[in-house]
Amino acid sequence: MNPIMGIAVKDIKTFFREKGTIFWTIAFPILIMLLFTAIFGRDIPFNANIGIVNEDNETPITNNMVSELNNTGFLVVKTFTNRVEALRELNVSNVRGVVIIPQNFTTDFISGHANISLVVDGTNPDVARLVSNGIKTFFTQYYKTVIPGYTAPIEVNEEISFVGQEIGYKENIVPGMLCYPLLFSSMVVSTGAIVYEREKGTLKKIRASPIHPISMLFGKTLAALFQTAISILIMAVMAVTLLAPSLNWDVSLLVPIMFLGSMNGIALGLIISCIGRAPQEASNAATTIGIVLQFFIGMYFPIEYLPTYLQQVGKVIPMTYAAQAIRDIMVRNATLNDILLPIATLTFSAIILYAVGVLLYKRWVEK
Amino acid sequence: MIIEVENLVKHYGEVKAVDGVSFNVEEGEIFGLLGPNGAGKTTLMEIICGLRRFDSGKVTVQRYDLVKDAYKIRGFIGFCPQETLLYDLLSVRENFAFSASLYRLSSKKFKERVEFSSKVLGVGDFLDRRVEQLSGGMKRRANLAASIIHDPLIVILDEPTVGFDPTIKREFWELIKNLKHYGKTVLLSTHDMYEADEICDRVAIMERGKIAALDKPHILKKTIGGEPTLHIKVKESQLDEAIKILDKHACTVIDDEIQVLAKNPWKMMSEISEKLVSHGVYTDRIEIVEPTLEDVFMKLSGKRLNVEE
Repeated sequence: MNPIMGIAVKDIKTFFREKGTIFWTIAFPILIMLLFTAIFGRDIPFNANIGIVNEDNETPITNNMVSELNNTGFLVVKTFTNRVEALRELNVSNVRGVVIIPQNFTTDFISGHANISLVVDGTNPDVARLVSNGIKTFFTQYYKTVIPGYTAPIEVNEEISFVGQEIGYKENIVPGMLCYPLLFSSMVVSTGAIVYEREKGTLKKIRASPIHPISMLFGKTLAALFQTAISILIMAVMAVTLLAPSLNWDVSLLVPIMFLGSMNGIALGLIISCIGRAPQEASNAATTIGIVLQFFIGMYFPIEYLPTYLQQVGKVIPMTYAAQAIRDIMVRNATLNDILLPIATLTFSAIILYAVGVLLYKRWVEK
Repeated sequence: MIIEVENLVKHYGEVKAVDGVSFNVEEGEIFGLLGPNGAGKTTLMEIICGLRRFDSGKVTVQRYDLVKDAYKIRGFIGFCPQETLLYDLLSVRENFAFSASLYRLSSKKFKERVEFSSKVLGVGDFLDRRVEQLSGGMKRRANLAASIIHDPLIVILDEPTVGFDPTIKREFWELIKNLKHYGKTVLLSTHDMYEADEICDRVAIMERGKIAALDKPHILKKTIGGEPTLHIKVKESQLDEAIKILDKHACTVIDDEIQVLAKNPWKMMSEISEKLVSHGVYTDRIEIVEPTLEDVFMKLSGKRLNVEE
């Protein structure tokens, strides 16, 4: 057998003997396909919370209309008693649009010409467009089903609400790009750090020395943080240079969020490196998990694109809070008060993930 | 005693890798674990270094218990495994600095130790070269130096010269003996009987996870290895005749060489020479061969030492 064939045969044999590598090789395309199918392979490719302010004393017609809105399958309706309360929720992204049913709506409707007001969150142009189109389509169709004699569609008076600043596509994409190093660089670097030592045999040297496993993990974390910081810096510089987005670069808020986001990614990487027995397995696992997570955390497209059940998954992933906080700081001019919840969530999850990483590492080295 | 191992047992699944091993290592001696691959030497050393857990038994180092004071004990030990544990992209000095950092060496002490390594282990010429640029021998020297950069009391060497050519092997033996002169206790594993014989003060012969014999090499050879042998080489055409002449001596023939067990080798050598000459058989060579540790191992296990399990 010539050397090329010999190497190929050896590698193929090795592949079939590394169960974890086989698992991740199979799992990767399956997960991606499932995810794409779930997101794009359905009739209603969007799901968003919207608020309703019914100023028309909840008549049977308006109540029916609210109920039908809720039954569209792509809108989840939250009812508010007044505009101020509803717009406050819009400002913090808890709802993506607010439908205001004006006083005398029922009377106008019966007399043949009615309108409603719609305020859409414009900080994410994709979401704004989808919410606006969805609601307009609903009201265009709704009149046909309610009163047979009614001939004009309900007119939707739309206004876009921008919190912070009006943004374009560039401003929308840059905060998502900055999440990339948090997810990939931190996780892949930290996974690789331990796997490399193990593969090279140098982990033996470290383990034979009197340093505690936690010290070793902290050392690795520092190095991974450094590399992640470089990635973030490069991304930021490139974004500013190439796209020149009009965003709020509040370093005093962005740095702690990015630090906490990186710590979560690094801790996850450490866990993967302790679970994966073969280097290839750990590397595949880190890449697959990173690619899958990017769909869940609202990095490139809003979390509302996901089906409702997948949105729930996104909400329990700590990185989602980092991605949202970065977007809020840069687009909505969020203050420290506004990002206290993401900070607390990311801190808590980093501690938990780190503790799991330390336990797994200790268990692994003490075998 | 600087290391005390008492009835140590370690399983890998169903396999008993270390089976009730007990031995002590005295301060300042070179203690060898001699045995074939799979005898349990590496497992035993890795347990002492704190790299592996054990199932039962007791290990103390400097009177500290390995289970209770694992981290303290690691500070006393410099472990140099078979493989080179250096980072290829760093220079030798940078590798030393990394190793020193694991033991929290002060910069003053680090400088002293680098000087020591340069002088005693001969790494001075390539201190600032990247490891990837070094020859195999240089890497192994740098590896040994990195593993003792913290000036440990005990140096544990796992098969330190495996894969070396004879010249570099001898060089390394001198380095190891030098460590003893600097007051280090050395525990090494080897499957090279000459290495064990040449540099070890005491040797434990391991077979299937157990210690089959333990003593100074010359005592092992004397007590277990058996009697010396006379190795007689005659012309090929006279070999059969020579065997006939030496019929009474229960000789064996290996590779056209007659071997005769000799309780009193010098006396027997002259007797045999005379006998052969008187029958017109002339010897090309006749020599007395003392028993080796290989013979000791053969006697104990019925196998040759260099045959892998």
